[in-house]
Amino acid sequence: MRLVVERFTHNALALLAVTTILFFMFRLMPGTPLAAFINENLNADQQQAMLEQFGLDKPMWQQYFIYLGNLLRGEMGLSFFQRRPVTTILLEVLPNSVILTLTSLIIAYAFGVLAGAWLAWKRGSWIERVAVPAVLATRAAPEFWIGMVLLALLSFNAGWFPSGGASSPGLAYNNNWQRIFSLDYVHHLALPVLTLALYLQGLPLLLMRSNMLEVMHEEFVTMARMKGLSEWRIVIGHAARNALLPVVTAFALGVGLSMGGNVVIETVFSWPGIGRLLVQAVSAHDYPVAQGAFLMIALVLAVMNFVADLLYMVLDPRVSHGRKG
Amino acid sequence: MAERAEPVPARASWPLLPVLKRMAAMPLKDPFAFAGLVIYLLFVLVAVFADQLAPVDPLEILFTKAGKLAANVPPGVEFPLGTTNLGRDIYAQLVHGTRSALAVGLSAAIIVATVGTIVGLVAGYFGGTADAVLMRIADMALSLPFLPFVIVLTGFLGASTSNIVLAVALLLWPNSARVIRSQVLTLRERAYVEAARVTGASAWRILFVHIAPNILPLSFVYAAIAIGWAIITEASVSFLGFGDSTSVSWGMMLQDAFASQALSRGQYAWFVPPGICIVLVVVAGFFISRGYEEVFMPRLRGR
Amino acid sequence: MILEVDKLQIHYSTRSGVARAVDGASFVVPEGRIVGLVGESGCGKTTAVRAIMGVLAENGRQAGGRVVFKGQTMDEATTRRLRWRDIAYVPQSAMSSLDPVYTVGSQLVEVLTKRGTHSRASARARSAELFDLVGLSERRLADYPHQFSGGMRQRAAIAMALALEPSLLLADEPVTALDVIVQRQILDVLRSLQQRLHLSMVLVTHDISVVAYLCDEVVVMYAGQVVESGPVREVLARPRHPYTMGLRNAFPDLLSDALELVPIAGSPPDLSEPLSGCRFVPRCPFAQPACSIDSVVTGSDGHRSACRRDAEADTIRTAALDPRTWQRSSSFAMS
Ligand SMILES: Nc1ncnc2c1ncn2[C@@H]1O[C@H](COP(=O)(O)OP(=O)(O)OP(=O)(O)O)[C@@H](O)[C@H]1O
Ligand code: SF4
Ligand SMILES: [Mg+2]
Repeated sequence: MRLVVERFTHNALALLAVTTILFFMFRLMPGTPLAAFINENLNADQQQAMLEQFGLDKPMWQQYFIYLGNLLRGEMGLSFFQRRPVTTILLEVLPNSVILTLTSLIIAYAFGVLAGAWLAWKRGSWIERVAVPAVLATRAAPEFWIGMVLLALLSFNAGWFPSGGASSPGLAYNNNWQRIFSLDYVHHLALPVLTLALYLQGLPLLLMRSNMLEVMHEEFVTMARMKGLSEWRIVIGHAARNALLPVVTAFALGVGLSMGGNVVIETVFSWPGIGRLLVQAVSAHDYPVAQGAFLMIALVLAVMNFVADLLYMVLDPRVSHGRKG
Repeated sequence: MAERAEPVPARASWPLLPVLKRMAAMPLKDPFAFAGLVIYLLFVLVAVFADQLAPVDPLEILFTKAGKLAANVPPGVEFPLGTTNLGRDIYAQLVHGTRSALAVGLSAAIIVATVGTIVGLVAGYFGGTADAVLMRIADMALSLPFLPFVIVLTGFLGASTSNIVLAVALLLWPNSARVIRSQVLTLRERAYVEAARVTGASAWRILFVHIAPNILPLSFVYAAIAIGWAIITEASVSFLGFGDSTSVSWGMMLQDAFASQALSRGQYAWFVPPGICIVLVVVAGFFISRGYEEVFMPRLRGR
Repeated sequence: MILEVDKLQIHYSTRSGVARAVDGASFVVPEGRIVGLVGESGCGKTTAVRAIMGVLAENGRQAGGRVVFKGQTMDEATTRRLRWRDIAYVPQSAMSSLDPVYTVGSQLVEVLTKRGTHSRASARARSAELFDLVGLSERRLADYPHQFSGGMRQRAAIAMALALEPSLLLADEPVTALDVIVQRQILDVLRSLQQRLHLSMVLVTHDISVVAYLCDEVVVMYAGQVVESGPVREVLARPRHPYTMGLRNAFPDLLSDALELVPIAGSPPDLSEPLSGCRFVPRCPFAQPACSIDSVVTGSDGHRSACRRDAEADTIRTAALDPRTWQRSSSFAMS
């Protein structure tokens, strides 16, 4: 329990640090500090409201606390161009990003874990000698480039998948969930997920492989052999179970990390997610949205870091169960 | 079975010599590291002789003999990889792109390795407040989402190669600093350091004569990885449109191809080669760093 | 004889060549007896017992000889069939031999159900019984290995070994990692179990006082070979091989009053070099030129020694009692 509180505090402080860095980044930007929040696209009333809401006429340190207070209440101002609250815009696109990230990660990790365990099993064979550098190469390829090649081959050339977006134009849905659970959505999701999964599978695969190789040398695996347990039971029940621990943690971390990395994939496939929103907002100098999107990504990162810590504690009895006499 | 890496016994006069010798000999032992080194060497040669290999200006708009714009010319004798939709020589862009890729990669790697090593050495050796402060800063840098931060920074500070390098360096040094710090912590306890301390050597002397040489291979590993990261990041940022529009880089080429509908036209010769170049350079870094890990730090494998 | 090890040869392939970790070792384990396997670190004790279990390291292989258990030659299929059901193993470090992510109880249940014929319910009852047998509280079955103390873990490992009622127990330094008081407790557990269950046992140790305390027979190994074997009282009271004499001098003696401790100078030979004759030559104070030529094994069935000068054993033993003998190394090796 003490450990949980400790990890929570650690991650919360890190998040606070990120928000602070962001605050000063936006306020100390070249140009007037007001420009970051007031834009002539907004009408006079909206400008006045923003000025008051963010205390932009007050000294910097007061602004900082007002900013933190606003954040806690989910207030992030108005988008310069959409003239809607940033929070609303973020919550609209967040599900798309979460679905894209989770689907690809689950596929990538399921494949990576199995293939990694299998490669560990095949150590010393020619398959391993070919596969390991090949996997390294997938990790070396820029995600967006994999996306471009797949797009050219499977969408433009073969015509199997749509070339971008999350829904076909002209289709109407009663609500967002109906849209998300439609076949059309899945069809649009397929290629970005494939790309991302292709990029992401390398980490769990290599991690699983090296963990397996390490665990297979552990004494308890030799003991399991001496006990005459079946090879299957030794590999799955003991070696893989132990080797999986760090991979599960890496999965949680991966959710947080790839949310940030998704900016390029979402751009390639015009996927209406938080990463693409960030890119568009930065190019358009829509500061409130850019800041909001950045914070949302940072928040997911911090939360998933904490989840990873928790998972580690739950899954490893050496941490979750204290020592007795 | 890999042997445990023994600390290099330091000789007072030339503490770096034995390590450097072993580091230089490593690629000969590990075929992957050797391949990585060959790839690096090839790209360096291409970068140096870019003007000779591709005499055409990569940004020049070319015309056919008939005087028409040489747009979207398929690969052939005159244009090995064809031309862009604005009539630019893709092969020339690819060759000249090597320069900016290596410039970005090497400068980021040097900063990351230098900062990471110094911070790791100081934090690990002296401990205490310095350690606590440095490691908190490292935690902070690590909790910034990588690509979004680079985008926001270059979006605001201006799209220039040096800003991208700065952003990459700002986010990557903590990884190397952390690992080097923990390595220093174990080295500090080793008997020969203890001995040096007892004989009255100064802290800085122990640090630089006895510990730093053992850390050097590790710095190298992180430098090799940073080269790859920096190049990928530069490409990603350029692709998103926040790149330096005055320089020719592989990322710019990909962005150009993407924005000019090269994908739907099936101009594979435009967007496949730059990606392959990126993969090669980055993979070379992976191979080299793996080689050093296998030889110098067998226990760190698999990270 | 429940177990016969006959000219066993185990080779490890390493970067610097083939290491002949066990090189023609022969010994027997009589039914219902405790046989101590002693020797310096690296002489091949662990390798020998692991070879009996059929679990050598990846780079190891049996290059010759055979192991016979109750009249059956242990080939791969036999070994697989007999493992744990007839021959079980107690490791030196119970901590690393238990899977850290499962409770000790569930690891017992695993072997009872997957390897034995128990149902889950009867396996749980049997686990409790086993814990009781080794002096552990049944409640600790639900604990993870790291929650046990070193001594308790070793008891758990013994319970694990007894799970399927084997007739032969191979214990590889079962107490070396423990402090002296706990060592004594664990040894007592082993002894009482051995008597109650009429077990046969091989007890690997490098501590001759443990042999004296617990064993009926002793097998002394040096550099991959057996140099002396016989009943404990006999061998410790009247050792016939100079290495055994040296070994006895190097440990506090439980039988007679403590002598001055005298280590044997030098270290065992490199097993990846070709060796001929007696391997103790470089360290033996009684070595003669003929010792390097070949080795012989002499003695009656009960007490055997591999020393060429066995006929002079009594004189040599007297000389070996003098610590000064061991201070100057072999006169022959010096020349
Ligand atoms: N996997 C291996 N690969 C190569 N050599 C090995 C291996 N395992 C053991 N050896 C070598 O074989 C010899 C015998 O080792 P073994 O572990 O059997 O000795 P031991 O008598 O059990 O020693 P200790 O008392 O230290 O446990 C040693 O020289 C050792 O270095
Ligand atoms: S006397 Fe000769 S044969 Fe006997 S132990 Fe010494 S060296 Fe070996
Ligand atoms: Mg041993």
